Amino acid sequence: MNRTMLPGPAISRRGVLGAGLSMLALGADPRRGAAAMPVHIECDAGQNELPFQWQASALEAKYGLTPDMVSLPFVGQYEKLVTDLTSRSDAYDVLVFPPYFLGDFQALGFLRELDQYFSILDPQLADYLPVYRDPVIKRGGKTYALMFDGDLLQVCYRTDLFGDPKEQAAFKQKYGQDLAVPTTWADFMKVAEFFTRPPGLYGTAFYAQRGFCYAWFVNIFAGLGGRWFDDKMNPGIKSDVGYQALSLLVEMKKYAPPNILQIDYPTLNQVFLDGSTALVVQWDDLPLKCENPAMSKVVGKSGFAPCPQRSYMPYSRVMAVSAFSKNPEDAYKVAAHMQLPDVGITYVYDPECGEDPYRESYLKASAVKNHLGQPTMSAAAAANYVDAIRGGLKAGYPELSIPGAPRYIDILDLYVNQALAGSLTPKAALDACAGEWASITAAEGQDRIAKAYADWVDSFHKVGLTY
Amino acid sequence: MAPALAMFAANAVFPLLYALDVSVRNYQLLIPVPPQFVGLANYAQVLADPLFWSSVEVTLWFIAAVVFLQLPAALGLALLFAGLPRWAGVAVTVLLVPTIIAPSVVGFQWAQIYNYQFGPLNYLLGLLGLGHPVWTASPTLALPSLIAIDFWEWTPFLVLLLFAGLSALPQDILEAARVDGSSWPQIFWRIMLPLLRPVIGIALLLRVLMSFKTFDIIYILTAGGPGAATENLAYYTYIQGFRYFNLGYASALAIIQLIVVAVLAKALIGLTRRPGLASAS
Repeated sequence: MNRTMLPGPAISRRGVLGAGLSMLALGADPRRGAAAMPVHIECDAGQNELPFQWQASALEAKYGLTPDMVSLPFVGQYEKLVTDLTSRSDAYDVLVFPPYFLGDFQALGFLRELDQYFSILDPQLADYLPVYRDPVIKRGGKTYALMFDGDLLQVCYRTDLFGDPKEQAAFKQKYGQDLAVPTTWADFMKVAEFFTRPPGLYGTAFYAQRGFCYAWFVNIFAGLGGRWFDDKMNPGIKSDVGYQALSLLVEMKKYAPPNILQIDYPTLNQVFLDGSTALVVQWDDLPLKCENPAMSKVVGKSGFAPCPQRSYMPYSRVMAVSAFSKNPEDAYKVAAHMQLPDVGITYVYDPECGEDPYRESYLKASAVKNHLGQPTMSAAAAANYVDAIRGGLKAGYPELSIPGAPRYIDILDLYVNQALAGSLTPKAALDACAGEWASITAAEGQDRIAKAYADWVDSFHKVGLTY
Repeated sequence: MAPALAMFAANAVFPLLYALDVSVRNYQLLIPVPPQFVGLANYAQVLADPLFWSSVEVTLWFIAAVVFLQLPAALGLALLFAGLPRWAGVAVTVLLVPTIIAPSVVGFQWAQIYNYQFGPLNYLLGLLGLGHPVWTASPTLALPSLIAIDFWEWTPFLVLLLFAGLSALPQDILEAARVDGSSWPQIFWRIMLPLLRPVIGIALLLRVLMSFKTFDIIYILTAGGPGAATENLAYYTYIQGFRYFNLGYASALAIIQLIVVAVLAKALIGLTRRPGLASAS
């Protein structure tokens, strides 16, 4: 665990002691006029801490708060948080985590309800994109978290290749149809196959390493019409749609670089940014990096589009207040401040961090700027990018977020990875996974989970998502 | 005596009994219902779990590598160093460097060496026209790649033990054999090896127990993947205990491992008994 005290005003021990004693003698709140206790902000280490660092001076100036970053490793964050929170540790005030932890964390009493603090600072939830509002941050009508990062999978493709008349003619000759950004998975496979010209160019790549390969499977599964469970909690993956989706993903390996099973988030960015891949599905912060000359060899050569048929929304990040925080009001102030419309806009389009838009007011091309107020891509690229996000969200497919979700997802990831590694067939992998899911459901309590799942499904029906 | 017994009970007996108790309950930390007694259900579930058996297989591969690769190589190196009258101590010390590096550093170091695109190993193989293997991401190469790291990291430890054993061999017996006209292979097979048996037994005991617990390099390099190709018993127990917080099941896994390790240790301790003179003649 890495702790970073963000820069703040220098305070001497003698000064604090003197001020504290005089205030106590006067019966005053010792925290008024003196530095408040630090607010410990837990976040996965790396680029996602940057927005807190950029806002540190504003937090101090506005609220007199001293943010203290507690960095946890991205892999293992869940284990670490559960271990600490089960033992009622007060090491964290603000918790930053993906919403699929929320079902467990709320059920286990790790989080404070936030509605009680809204009078301190209005979080302006009406501006949230509906898909990120009730389904993600609320449970049973109560708010347990605020948004920090609205994730979505998106297609990034090479406009120079797709726009090349020679490529267009060759594609038409081979497949009898126009070369276009794929809107079905069948077309995606054709385009991926067409551009596979190793070792200089590969058709596609995807996150195939253990950890998140499930998301690239679910993205296809969703597009083909799959559902996590039916109303009786029978796993939806044990179906023809599931087998077909996983078979497509396994087949996609043929069009990917040879080290495909090693490809994770940064490597997937890299193989697109270095120009060695024609199109990829990746989280929607890749376009910002594509247009940054310091990171990319494909500046001005990238286009962005929603995923075929549906766009899966894996991960995201929310901010919550720990039930064991000794400083919950200040923790709430930090969380609320960070997602205010005029604050969030400073980081959701910054290529240095990994945060993505979650408010309606962010979805305009003119807003695509970094935290210093500089445009992060050309006006045309920004318009294309924002349109792709809007289009993806219209057909967004939500990440499972019920009690037990981290276990359902991890088991799915294991079996998808086994199929990708060739140790199991897609059917055998998904059948085995469905068996494990049934065990998790039974252990969690069939009725309890079925109710939680029904409520969760209902929450995104209410915001107009088809499921 | 009483304080010593109390310490033993607190440090060894209580955790063991507690693990036994948890292993017969459906204790799942993330499910807000009280754990219930389920008898041997967790054990039955473990034995019917294909992932348990695949993790046993991976563990056995690590152990086989210790017995059939590390031990012969270490014995060869120890014999080589024993023949160096002057610099043997320095050579063994230099050789020990991999063993004293922090395991997490070993993991990161090898992650770089095995890197498909930028790793020095693939660079050299590329120069020789031998292609670019995907070391830790290939279902067939991932486990041998980890075993190779284990070999690099821990063979020197075996060399150290065996070198110490060789140095302590009674020189008068070896000298007498030479005077009597015994050839080097005869001296090695009939005198040195039987006399080294206790040291070999201890070395094997320590390394087999250590390889049962191999965790760091798996966690850092492959996370058990691709699929479950490198998930050994220690890693699988970690997943069940600390990712799924399925404490009853993880405890059953731990108890089963304890029984297997105890049986293995008993067998290996038998090896450490020094043979009588007759067997060396």
